[in-house]
Amino acid sequence: MKKGLTVLIVLAVIVTGLFFWVKNSYNRLVSGEEQVSAAWAQVENVYQRRADLIPNLVATVKGYAEHESETLESVIAARAKATQVTVNPDQLSDEEIAEFQAAQGELGSALGRLMMITENYPDLKANRNFADLQAQLEGTENRIATERKKYNDTARAYNISVRSFPANIIASIFDFETKGYFKAADGAETAPAVEF
Amino acid sequence: MTKASLRKPILAAVLCLTTAAVLSAIPARPEPARLVNDFAGIFSPRQALYIERMLLEFDDSTSNQIAVVTVPDLEGYSASEYATRIGLDWDIGTAENDNGIVVLIKPKTDGSYGDVAISTGYGLEGAIPDVYCKRIIDNEMIPYFAAGDYYSGTVAGCRVLMKLASGEISEPREDRSEFSLFGLLVLFIIFSIIFFAILGRGDRGGKGGRNGGAGGIDADDIMRGIIIGNILGGGRHRGGFGGNSGGFGGGFDGGGFSGGGFGGFGGGDFGGGGASGRW
Repeated sequence: MKKGLTVLIVLAVIVTGLFFWVKNSYNRLVSGEEQVSAAWAQVENVYQRRADLIPNLVATVKGYAEHESETLESVIAARAKATQVTVNPDQLSDEEIAEFQAAQGELGSALGRLMMITENYPDLKANRNFADLQAQLEGTENRIATERKKYNDTARAYNISVRSFPANIIASIFDFETKGYFKAADGAETAPAVEF
Repeated sequence: MTKASLRKPILAAVLCLTTAAVLSAIPARPEPARLVNDFAGIFSPRQALYIERMLLEFDDSTSNQIAVVTVPDLEGYSASEYATRIGLDWDIGTAENDNGIVVLIKPKTDGSYGDVAISTGYGLEGAIPDVYCKRIIDNEMIPYFAAGDYYSGTVAGCRVLMKLASGEISEPREDRSEFSLFGLLVLFIIFSIIFFAILGRGDRGGKGGRNGGAGGIDADDIMRGIIIGNILGGGRHRGGFGGNSGGFGGGFDGGGFSGGGFGGFGGGDFGGGGASGRW
């Protein structure tokens, strides 16, 4: 009888310990995933901010540089395409992020070409409205770079927690998957130049 | 564990190390913390001191932190990105208000453009929109910079930034300045007592007779006591979170700060707002 009681107590201690371990690991993973989703929401925000600037920008440029319609249309087309590519915030898979990044990258380079041709129009450059839009666009590009870096940092910390032992056991039981990253390919995340 | 499942964590670790190496291109947060960090050496010590005092006073009265950083090279970053990274790495601004501002200046040299960027913390993006930053750079700063007067351009730019920022967030740091004044007084008294005690003993023991029988202390000694007390007090205080370390050395190089010291950066966040300019 006494032996049975000891076994019962030991078992209860083990079960309680196991419960708290699972609970803590699980909750840590949930809050980690939440942070990644929040960082992603910020990324989408700043890309949306850029998309919102474009109609105004295109309209302003059009007034001064009408025969650059090809460049203007490519910006509009790239914007339409980029706003259609969405990423499932619950998954944030590598492939979806790569697709999103490619579409936004195309819009970025179309915008780059547009800003390049505006150099040829001194009247446009002197326009106050255009100067303001240019400043906003520049600030938005820097916001994009900042939020992307923050997202990558957050996702990296979360991925490490998903993969490291023993939390990876809990992660695989409850289907926590690693999140994708932004790749530093299109120059948005410039590597420092080495000079001698 | 199989080989394949081991590889992923290793890859992650390598990625982390690479990121750390990239980030190290941004200068490390100064210890003790300062608001003016002239790595490019474009200000005279007097000018740096004046700007530091101006920004310190602003930090004390409104809690908004403006950091002026000059660098000889942007390390391949754009000026805006570099400024934002400094803000993030150094935690400029307070954690409650995210009210930090970074003013980054890369002076013009024979072979390169001059670059200037203003980066605003999350909390100040509303008070100082990107367009305003751009106008401050174009109208207040670059005209001076182009003429080689970095000091006047920086002061003019900071003045406008202070005016805009104080309209949004203005929370005097009362507790800190009270502590500083009180602490300074206590330290001054303690050091004075120690100094006079040592002085008194020295006079009686060794050199003897120089002051006649006047008791070992004259006006000259009192002055010396005050000066040394000030240096010790100032050095101890300006350290901010650095505590005692660097007390003596710190006291001399700045020409002696008076008043409360800079309490350090406070965990502000940056989202990349701001603008940049080139000349």
